Amino acid sequence: MDLYEMRSRLQVIAEETTASEEDEENEEEDEDEFVMVRNRKLTSDPSDPPDAWCRDCSVPTHSNPSERTHTQHRVVTLNAAAQEIKSELGKRSSSLVEKITQMDNFIGNLEEIFITVEENFGRQEQNLEQHYNDVLQSLSQRFRDNSAALLDEKKLKLEALYGQLLSCGDALTASKELIEHAQELHRCDDKHAFLQTVMSSIKRMEEFSKDELELKVGVSLDFVPPPSDLTEVKHMMDSINVVPAPSAPVMNPQAVNSASPSSLRVCWSLFSDDTVDFYELYCRQISEDIATETMHDASVLRVKETHCVVKDLRPNSQYEFWVTATNTTGISPASEKAVYMTVPSPPVIRERECVSCLEAALIRWDSGNTNPVESYTLELCEDGETDNAVTESIVAIPTCECVVQLQPWKRYIITIRAVNIGGASEKSRPIRISTTGTFFHLLKETAHPILCVLDDGFTIVYPDEDLPLSDMVFSDTTFNCCVAVLGDLIPVRGRHYWEIEVDDWTEYRVGVAYEDTQRSSYLGANATSWCMRHICTPSRHKYEFLHNGWSADVRITVQPLCVGVFLDYDSSTLSFYNTHLQQHLHTFRCCFTHNVLPCFALDKPGTLRIHTGVPTPSYVTHTHT
Amino acid sequence: MALTQVSSNKCCGGYQKVFEHDSSELKCKMKFAIYLPPKAESGKCPVLYWLSGLTCTEQNFITKSGSQRAASEHGIIIVAPDTSPRGCNIEGEDESWDFGTGAGFYVDATQEPWKTNYRMYSYVTEELPRLINSNFPVDPEKMSISGHSMGGHGALICALKNPGKYKAVSAFSPICNPVQCAWGHKAFSGYLGPEKSTWEAYDATLLAASYSGPELDILIDQGREDQFLSASQLLPDNLIAACSEKKIPVVFRLQQGYDHSYFFVFSFIDDHIKHHAKYLNA
Repeated sequence: MDLYEMRSRLQVIAEETTASEEDEENEEEDEDEFVMVRNRKLTSDPSDPPDAWCRDCSVPTHSNPSERTHTQHRVVTLNAAAQEIKSELGKRSSSLVEKITQMDNFIGNLEEIFITVEENFGRQEQNLEQHYNDVLQSLSQRFRDNSAALLDEKKLKLEALYGQLLSCGDALTASKELIEHAQELHRCDDKHAFLQTVMSSIKRMEEFSKDELELKVGVSLDFVPPPSDLTEVKHMMDSINVVPAPSAPVMNPQAVNSASPSSLRVCWSLFSDDTVDFYELYCRQISEDIATETMHDASVLRVKETHCVVKDLRPNSQYEFWVTATNTTGISPASEKAVYMTVPSPPVIRERECVSCLEAALIRWDSGNTNPVESYTLELCEDGETDNAVTESIVAIPTCECVVQLQPWKRYIITIRAVNIGGASEKSRPIRISTTGTFFHLLKETAHPILCVLDDGFTIVYPDEDLPLSDMVFSDTTFNCCVAVLGDLIPVRGRHYWEIEVDDWTEYRVGVAYEDTQRSSYLGANATSWCMRHICTPSRHKYEFLHNGWSADVRITVQPLCVGVFLDYDSSTLSFYNTHLQQHLHTFRCCFTHNVLPCFALDKPGTLRIHTGVPTPSYVTHTHT
Repeated sequence: MALTQVSSNKCCGGYQKVFEHDSSELKCKMKFAIYLPPKAESGKCPVLYWLSGLTCTEQNFITKSGSQRAASEHGIIIVAPDTSPRGCNIEGEDESWDFGTGAGFYVDATQEPWKTNYRMYSYVTEELPRLINSNFPVDPEKMSISGHSMGGHGALICALKNPGKYKAVSAFSPICNPVQCAWGHKAFSGYLGPEKSTWEAYDATLLAASYSGPELDILIDQGREDQFLSASQLLPDNLIAACSEKKIPVVFRLQQGYDHSYFFVFSFIDDHIKHHAKYLNA
């Protein structure tokens, strides 16, 4: 191929062009002189050099109108003309340069094509050789098979004929013997002896003649040519000049970070020798719901590359993919099926069910996905950090809740991701947690039907007008006797503090209870709850500190309008305070066998306002060291 | 005011000591007990004054109440004086257990022959604190007071008569309203004379009704089986009513099954020391 040569020639041309441009520039200084020389030649008037240019005749002339030749022509000054023509020249040469560049590119392409063609033909040659070898092998095999068959047949026939020959000979000998015997008898003169022996001889001859002699040739006299099925060879011969159909491609397993909730990047590979025009990618969602057994229809995508981003998929779902390769000759078998999985949708944190204390938070969330995901990842960072970088993550959380250990007196931002084989979802919307105190919500599902929890979530009201019993809906979790509700305290054994604001005449019970405290009894009346009770008698305010139906006899002279409750698992105590006076009212010493929950009850219509997340006052912690 | 150490015993990491000194107020030799917690070796500590009941000396409290452990934990010095002047040779001072020796009632007597020596109120509120402050590592700003029975009465009146002087006050089975009970009648008429208006200055219930000053948080424990409660010597209800009226914070705990003894005091002394610690160590 002369491409290289061609290219080098073109390069030479390009160089020359540039060189001439440079020359031109150099010559510019000598322009006048140049013009003069040309003028001299053309006008042959050395005494009067031309100072103008006729555009129509493209010759130098005089601006002086004495020369009439160019009267009607467009005559410009010599300088202007030179300028014009130079720019024209510049344009032409630049377009030439452009063409050279194009040519260069073209040559590049040609080179690539050259290489490809060379490679392809090389491959074709190989294929051809391979094919012919195959055909030859096939033919020689056929030859070997056929000639062996021929030999076998020959041997069989000859053996049969030889056998027949031998038996004929035997019969002949026997006949001859009999004839000789007969002749001998015939010659015998002794009639009596003759008659005595002749009968047995005749008998033997009769018997012998009975045996019919087989005088037909025992083998087929026709030569049946062996069948020769050459269609396969013919087929092989036919296919010699054709590109082979591709073999089945191989699906690649799902790559890390290649999935999103709605799309998957699917990859496969093929054998390097195959020529492929396009692939067809089949995609089918695998139904999680085995009960329905409905097969989703497969969709097909035609792609040129060995990868494809499949879009518009459902999050957290499994899809099976398989692919066929097609070229001019035909279509490959389908690849094995590969299962890919889309990433889950981000979970949704249930803000109203997240609780915390000084050292920990319990975060609860909804999966955000209809199908189960593999696990969840909780990420937390300190609020106010400049880059909000994740400082801690908890991975492989199997359920939709997690208790995370935190530092006291800090603010955190917590997010959740859902994870499956395909990868992790986006972050959920964050929740902010401040570890200033114990923060909990009320468990509305435990509230006595008559008890209202206001929208702020922390004010409970026993309304004045009684609800008719028929309108009350009780469940297994609701208090059905005591107008009470439980709080959702974080299940972390440590120290917890909360406050309850009360009115002068509110009759209430506040304290703690086991989660399974009897719903049919009053708080403090059983062994599963501890509470402070306020009763208004006509003469005074009465306070009881009730557990198991028994109360310490305590008189309090100043009625608390805000009760502080301090639960200390470390010292197994539950203490009550009048927060306004910082006055200690009572302490239960109790061995909590399992976790307790705050409880609040109203014995008469009234209101309680619960304050959570408040720091524990120093007068409370101080005396509990 | 020279102090003579009578005894010193290591206890709960600190020292339980008894000293004797010549009292200028009482014009006699007086003994007092002082518990110095381990913390007193390295710094100043608050002081809880303990006033004992009828017939007691400085010994009852320090040998029976088991107060040292909690005092050691909270770093509180406890000073327990005797309950009356002794050996003053006043006629009739040893005649009865509820008057005279061992029954000073924490008043400054105005009547002969008691008025020279029986000045227990001034002794426990003035002379003794001065003595303690100048001889021991104490924080003079942080003192509180407690007592049992007659001493409970003493603690209450000291606190109610000196607003702000004591950071906290508590009492076990105190005589809450002496002007209304037999013990009070006997003592007050003897020490203060027949004019009942003079008694009012030493009656906790009446003092509470007229109290004005910084908020006092009063803790009172009372045994339910206390014979003197049923004998109407203590009358806590009257004090509670007065405090309820005046909104003086009191937590009054009627402890089931307990009597008037130091077994009762021993059972709840930790709560009281904790109560004092809350204010003394604040």
